[in-house]
Amino acid sequence: MTAIAQSWQPGKQLGARRTLVSMHADSPDEALACAFAGKEPWAFEEAYRRFGTLLYSTAYNVLANREDAQDCVHEALARVWRSPDAYSRAKGSVRSFLVVCVRNEAITRLRSKTRRLRLVDRVAAEPQEHDELRTIDFVEHDRLRAALAALPPEQRRPLELAYYEQKTHTEIARELDQPLGTTKSRIAMGLRKLGAALGARS
Amino acid sequence: MNAHIGDDAASYALGMLDELEQSRIDEHVASCPACAAALAQAFDDVAAIAEAEPQHAPPMSLRPPARMQHKASWWMPAFAAVAAAIAIAVLPSAYFYGENQRMHAAMLADADAMARIASSPHRAVAFAGANANVMYGTDGSWYCVIVRGATKPMQVAWMHDGRQTMLGTVTPHGDVAILYLPKSHRMDQLALVADDQMVGQARLVF
Repeated sequence: MTAIAQSWQPGKQLGARRTLVSMHADSPDEALACAFAGKEPWAFEEAYRRFGTLLYSTAYNVLANREDAQDCVHEALARVWRSPDAYSRAKGSVRSFLVVCVRNEAITRLRSKTRRLRLVDRVAAEPQEHDELRTIDFVEHDRLRAALAALPPEQRRPLELAYYEQKTHTEIARELDQPLGTTKSRIAMGLRKLGAALGARS
Repeated sequence: MNAHIGDDAASYALGMLDELEQSRIDEHVASCPACAAALAQAFDDVAAIAEAEPQHAPPMSLRPPARMQHKASWWMPAFAAVAAAIAIAVLPSAYFYGENQRMHAAMLADADAMARIASSPHRAVAFAGANANVMYGTDGSWYCVIVRGATKPMQVAWMHDGRQTMLGTVTPHGDVAILYLPKSHRMDQLALVADDQMVGQARLVF
């Protein structure tokens, strides 16, 4: 490694602010998780830097609007920042935790009626101007489609309504004409299988 | 201890619970390692789906707000009042200083990305037929396609098993177009496509 590359190691400029706990962790993910749980400011900067695209895309894929998506990421992270016990190591990786926080925030926003109306207006007013910014990873997308298609229909349909249409349990149960408990357990089963097919479960 | 969370782990991860239900689960997992593990696993499942969906480039302004840079403490309100008075007095220069800091942070992020590329084993090959190169990690974990003198967007495709899989679009900014592709596959043949015509081809060795 050249001297220049060494001096450019990721996170090096923030290194001085790291605590002993996070410096002694085994891996970068581990270090980030410790620092994030300890609410060290560099952990938030690092989270923005490392997961910015994933978090923004997660919000954008629900809200379909750039400003809303950006606000949503800020609000979700600010909420974690404000609440002392929001994240703990027991909750797994920082990356997955933040994806869920951002997505939940996006869904809350989408469900608010005024937002929904604004969204319709904005989507109508903004033709395809953001398409050039969109990167579809076709290999990944094919994998997702194939994994979804492999689910039994009675699990796939409620999961699709939950994930892609952000419907509530009650709405899904009514739409599919099945008991609430059955809906919940089929969604949970479907999610487990889909996660396993996408490599999220070892 | 409350009842175990069961299917609610998936409901939480999918955003199907209200805040009250979420905090009930937060409280439970704080003292139940089995449910905490189930919840973390459901979060990983949802993150895997989110990652396989189309990704969008975030705006440059997606950076941590200033309030996350330092921890608040009891003296912060008083300090903030004094700071505000000073800030009003020096607002114009503070604004430019802030802009400068943001640009600096953006440059550091770029430098980090370049450093990751420079410090990992990589190779570069030229595309035959086009003024373009691809740099790639020898473990197949990333590819960076650089097209010079490009006048319009081109697609990058992976040629395999007699098929073309589109990987993304290189869009010119000025006369250079760059596309960075984090991947987990070793792709030994890439093509550049413009207007449905193959305009360049590269063979990669791993």
